[in-house]
Amino acid sequence: MGYFRGFAVTFRKLWEKRVTIPYPEQKRDKPERLHGRHVLNRYEDGMEKCIGCELCAGVCPANCIYVRGADNPPDDPVSPGERFGFVYEINYLRCIHCDLCVEACPTEAITESKLFEFSFTNRSDAVYTKDELMVDGETGRPQQLPWEDWRDGEDTHTSGWMRATSPSGSAAYVGKVSWSGELGYGIRAPEQGRSGGEANGDDEEEGS
Amino acid sequence: MNDVGQSVEITVDGRTVLANPGELLIDACERTGTYIPRFCHHPRMRPVGMCRSCLVEVDTGRGPALQASCMLECSPGMQVDTESERTRKAQAGVLEFLLVNHPLDCPVCDKGGECPLQDQTMAFGPGESRFVEEKRHFEKPIPVNDNVFLDRERCILCDRCTRFADEVAGDALIHFQGRGSDTEVNTFPDEPFSSYFSGNTVQVCPVGALTAAPYRFKARPWDLEEVESTSVVDSVGSRIAVQSSRDCVLRFQGVDADAVNWGWLCDKERFIFEAYDHEDRLGTPLLRGDDGDLAPTGWGEALAAAAAALTDVDPDRIAVLGGARLTNESQYAWTKFAKGVLGTDHVDAQLGDGLPADFVLGLPRATIDEACTPGGIIVLLGPDPKEELGSLYLRLRHAVVHDGATLIELTPRATGLTPFADHSLRVRPGEAVDVVRAMFGEGGTAPIGGVTVEEAQAVGAIVSGAAVGQNRPVTVLLGRQSLAEAPGTVVDAALVLHDWIADVRFLSMLRRGNVHGALDLGLAPGLLPGRVGLDEGRPRFAAAWPTTPATKGRDALESLRAAADGEVDVLVLLGADVLTDVPDHDLARRGLEGAGTVIALDLFATPTVAAADVVLPATAPTETDGTVTNLEGRVSIVARKVTPPGTARPDWMIAVELARRLGADLGISSPDDVWAELSVVSPIHAHIDPEALAVQAREGILVSGGPALVRPAPLEVPSHDKNSYRLVVTRSMYDCGVLTAHSRSLAGLAPVTRLAFEPTDFAALGVAEGGRIEVRGPRGNIDVVVGPDSRVTKGTAHLLFNQRGVSAGDLIEATAAVIDLTVVPV
Ligand code: SF4
Ligand code: SF4
Ligand code: SF4
Ligand code: FES
Repeated sequence: MGYFRGFAVTFRKLWEKRVTIPYPEQKRDKPERLHGRHVLNRYEDGMEKCIGCELCAGVCPANCIYVRGADNPPDDPVSPGERFGFVYEINYLRCIHCDLCVEACPTEAITESKLFEFSFTNRSDAVYTKDELMVDGETGRPQQLPWEDWRDGEDTHTSGWMRATSPSGSAAYVGKVSWSGELGYGIRAPEQGRSGGEANGDDEEEGS
Repeated sequence: MNDVGQSVEITVDGRTVLANPGELLIDACERTGTYIPRFCHHPRMRPVGMCRSCLVEVDTGRGPALQASCMLECSPGMQVDTESERTRKAQAGVLEFLLVNHPLDCPVCDKGGECPLQDQTMAFGPGESRFVEEKRHFEKPIPVNDNVFLDRERCILCDRCTRFADEVAGDALIHFQGRGSDTEVNTFPDEPFSSYFSGNTVQVCPVGALTAAPYRFKARPWDLEEVESTSVVDSVGSRIAVQSSRDCVLRFQGVDADAVNWGWLCDKERFIFEAYDHEDRLGTPLLRGDDGDLAPTGWGEALAAAAAALTDVDPDRIAVLGGARLTNESQYAWTKFAKGVLGTDHVDAQLGDGLPADFVLGLPRATIDEACTPGGIIVLLGPDPKEELGSLYLRLRHAVVHDGATLIELTPRATGLTPFADHSLRVRPGEAVDVVRAMFGEGGTAPIGGVTVEEAQAVGAIVSGAAVGQNRPVTVLLGRQSLAEAPGTVVDAALVLHDWIADVRFLSMLRRGNVHGALDLGLAPGLLPGRVGLDEGRPRFAAAWPTTPATKGRDALESLRAAADGEVDVLVLLGADVLTDVPDHDLARRGLEGAGTVIALDLFATPTVAAADVVLPATAPTETDGTVTNLEGRVSIVARKVTPPGTARPDWMIAVELARRLGADLGISSPDDVWAELSVVSPIHAHIDPEALAVQAREGILVSGGPALVRPAPLEVPSHDKNSYRLVVTRSMYDCGVLTAHSRSLAGLAPVTRLAFEPTDFAALGVAEGGRIEVRGPRGNIDVVVGPDSRVTKGTAHLLFNQRGVSAGDLIEATAAVIDLTVVPV
């Protein structure tokens, strides 16, 4: 008798909805704030947001970012202001996708996409250069490198907007636009926070 | 610093603290562990009380009141509260004010991460600003000179840079301009901040308002690594912090060594690192092949070729020149190799542009502090310290301008110190000894050049009376006044001063990097390591060295002459660019051509290196561990920070390798080994070892003692012919030397020289300024560009050495006591 009780579970589960999917042909939707590979963003006029300040490199616990700044050429500036990111590299063999770099960036230049499925056949591919990280100069979309498997819609939820509307921000700023526009998307409207409404006036201390 | 008199007892936050008399409250608090925020206060400049951020509550008996602690000397019974509510509110308020106009562009600012304004705002500031209006705007960085940028938006008007320029450097070329909220720091219109010391303003600026071009946007403070080291640009031995990122040196900063440079550097010391990092550095040995061209090769082949050339050669036919830029350890290794293994005494670290080594070592020596004693007397019988020994100039200037020292100049041309000199005697080449004799009443009554006997005697009364009567110490700064006169002039004059002034001391102004180390370690004819002559020293070295030279050898000029006559089979050049640095270019050329095999150790492919047969790439000071000896005899550490280019090796290692190939063991496998051996063979170095040096890293350790004074035979100087001009050749801070030429930020600063005459002399020539004339000198006729210069003395003509324009080296003949030029009529 005990023999059939074991099958009872099997039979019951047989008719339930399946949890496995035929990956990688089919993929699940990813959470909006998933930390994937980075992108370097541009302003609406196509200028690079990165100013080469090395704050991301300084904060990175995995020590995987290498940045060097340089003087902006006055007649053909790369970014607004005096300085621009001249060298920018992230080593994805080391990155732990903690997003501290994104938190540190004063210009919302570096943010993370949803792409985490990438593998390399050699080390130098794993070190993303500035050219590879920079969003496309026309559309503002992340570039797709040969070994990356992007699906529709995965490139939309990047940018400083994601960070500025994240729940770790002060409640005083819920609903307020405090991020710059970006190439291809303009200034994105604030999403409704978890509180779902206007600022509740609860004046929390701003983090430093 | 000042420990005369009684200590002053004050109370700081309830604690009793002993302050030195006259000590500022802010310093007393810091020394005893209470940090008060500050921006304008700088320990090496006079207080101004500009920024007000050091306000603390002080009660001197009349009730507590807010006072600027950088303007307040400690007085007995003072009650200080640095933590009271009023103090905090005042300090936070001042910071809020300072930030009213400060742009918050920290992410792009070179100072961000090491910025006192950031740090003190975090520690003492209000956290948030109430100022929401527009800040003031200026054009973002404007160059104030070729190497320094000024961003007036960031300036907090602390007066440090302007005070430095005015008070310390004496180049008051940046100033506050405008009033109220329009106040800004700026240069005068069309007049750049052309100062040899401008880099210091970048270092003292408490914000990122002043930034230096060589470091601009190169790195952030958090990716810099740092070691403390010693500058070897000149012989002052300023302490520096070498900062690098990713194995590349990005910045030198001055370190405050109380006995030496007080934290200041001249721009040459500060920016020379660019040369060490230059892509033209030699990274692989070169060997002259059968086709006659230098071609890269391996160390094995290059050392084998060098060793083969040195095998079975009569020691009398080997000469070793240069070595003044080597560390003490490398110098010892090379002395041991040359004198102890090869057995030659034709060794000279100076290149005919210095003074006789045994004479310099025999003089009673002064330290910089002794020379700068408040109220002391300084006699300048040497080159212009502002041009040749920048950080020493700042110390001397401070002593004269702020500490009541009396300066007496005996120079052929006005110097950077002339404006502060008590007496400037303009001495024409060859006449220094006559002027000095006249000072003490020797000689006739006729004026010597432009110097009257009365004037000379007035000076003599100061220097001799002072030393005896008023107990004011006399220091003579001694160096070559002009490269176009034989060293004998200065030597003879120095001997007269030595004999007439009781307790006189001398501070050598030989300028090249570690030249004093070279003298101490025997890289000079007739000397062995430890400031000792061959004969006295021989017993000490009998056990440690295979051999010692029998007789005193030739100096650099004599060696070159011998080489020109075909008497030198192997010429070893230790970083010596003889074609550029030997004052007599013709001699250098002939010597190099006449020498057999030329082995050159160097950093760059200089013209001399291009003529060598074996080229061995050496390491730069930022790539070498060791020590150097400054002009006082102070030994301090040079630290390796980055890896050398290619396979370049330290000079000592090359000596060890060559010795090994010749079958000798130098017994040195690391720089530290040298000290173990030195402690045995050199009593004057016995108190120094690597541990002691590490303990006293910042101030270094003085070496003292030396041989008895030698008196070279007096120099015969031909009398001055009224129709000729005596040539004066001096150096300027920047020249076409290989290191300056390879420093991007310094190369462009080298001036163009022309033959300069005193204005009335020039008018008599009847040529337009910038015109050309033909002059006849001992080396024949030469066509030169001429101009007037009020710093030049009547009856002389002046040129800068190693500059574009006129090649002074083509006019100088090394055997001549003086060079007289006559104008060839057209
Ligand atoms: S996500 Fe974290 S580990 Fe990755 S680069 Fe950014 S800071 Fe470094
Ligand atoms: S990505 Fe942001 S933090 Fe990193 S260097 Fe660029 S601007 Fe600075
Ligand atoms: S430039 Fe710097 S050092 Fe000069 S006054 Fe302004 S803040 Fe002070
Ligand atoms: S530090 Fe005292 S007023 Fe500036």
